[in-house]
Amino acid sequence: MKAIILVVALGLSVPAQAFDFGNIDLEKAVKTMQKIKHAKEDVSEPQEIELGSGIASSLLGAAPLLDHPELQRYVNRVGRWIALQSERPDLPWHFGVLDDADINAFAAPGGYVFITKGLLARMNSEAELAGVLAHEISHVLRKHHLQALKKGARRELMADLAGEAIKSKGGDERLRKLVSAGTELYARGLDKEDEFESDRMGVVLAARAGYDPYGLPAVLQTLQSINPTDSNLALMFKTHPGFDKRLELLGPLMSPALDDWERQPDLNQRFATVIGNRK
Amino acid sequence: MMKMLMLCMALGFAAGAWAQEEAYVVRETELKAKPYSDAQTLFMLPARSKVIVLQRRASWNQVKSGTTTGWVKMLSLQLARGAAQHRSDSGLRSLFNVARTGGSGATVTTGVRGLSEEQLTHAQPNPEALDALERYASDRRAAERFAAQGKLQAQRVDYLAGEKK
Repeated sequence: MKAIILVVALGLSVPAQAFDFGNIDLEKAVKTMQKIKHAKEDVSEPQEIELGSGIASSLLGAAPLLDHPELQRYVNRVGRWIALQSERPDLPWHFGVLDDADINAFAAPGGYVFITKGLLARMNSEAELAGVLAHEISHVLRKHHLQALKKGARRELMADLAGEAIKSKGGDERLRKLVSAGTELYARGLDKEDEFESDRMGVVLAARAGYDPYGLPAVLQTLQSINPTDSNLALMFKTHPGFDKRLELLGPLMSPALDDWERQPDLNQRFATVIGNRK
Repeated sequence: MMKMLMLCMALGFAAGAWAQEEAYVVRETELKAKPYSDAQTLFMLPARSKVIVLQRRASWNQVKSGTTTGWVKMLSLQLARGAAQHRSDSGLRSLFNVARTGGSGATVTTGVRGLSEEQLTHAQPNPEALDALERYASDRRAAERFAAQGKLQAQRVDYLAGEKK
């Protein structure tokens, strides 16, 4: 504001340029005001999907899909069935198994969910897979990655996206930057509270889908027992709260609240059959 | 690396599927005769005592303490370091034997792939793999049919409230 007053004051002493300078600054001020207004708005669902597909494409550039079509379709059916029990059943949900020994799972805006074969190989049942997918689905439902981008260094670009200043088709450089920032989030991690929230929601979504809700805690317990110096866990440790803390928080929340659903099937046989089948 | 992996899998195989994992009791807990809260308590397991985990049934683990077999709440246990390695079974082996993809667009990008921090920061788009992902997607009807085959029934369950700050 002070700068505008100064420019206007300077402008006054040189009348010929006063109008121009004042005009440009006024335009800039209006644009800033619009950006502040848009920063409070959410990006639309098509924009969310567009951004998410870009981030998913980058992630697939880092780790390709496992070439096991039967397993890929199986994971998509488990995931889609869980997503149908959520508040966003009709997003274009996509699930993928990444061909990487690292132990991790990822979500991207708009309904993209990935799990590594390294994590899948340490699971014992469909209920455990469901628990992990449901955790990732919850990140999408709560738009945790979009929130993180809004708070980060690219918040102005997020405001542009919300204000529809970014035209999605045709390779806008600003969209490319947002995709890049979104992919880098996987290396930095989300807010710890977002992870705890996804744990709480994930066990409920698994129960809604008819599974034994203890699949997610069982996976966390398995991971807890892996030597923490295992390099396949390095990124997970860097980007997530500790397994001890996550289990400590989940335990008292789940029992007795979910006791009525704990006898639901875990489908360990169906899981073992699909995992064991070579393509 | 590969040799070590194979060795681990061979050992895991010898130890049997997922039985016989060593675990520690995190906090004092009741050893129950059956996996129910109102089942008979056999005795109390003190914190830090060692048990062998035989199987999981929902929130309960069947364990062996000395010569007694009973059930404890899963979340009162912490598996010993390395315990879960013994779970490795034929599934793990077959997953790791699946070759890296040709069909899903693994050919174009240069540079090292992987999920390290560095690799994520420099990741390039892989539109071919994104197309492959599209082919595997499930629609609503396929998902519902799949659930019915597994006898999964949708339930009404409220979300859990978080901790009050």
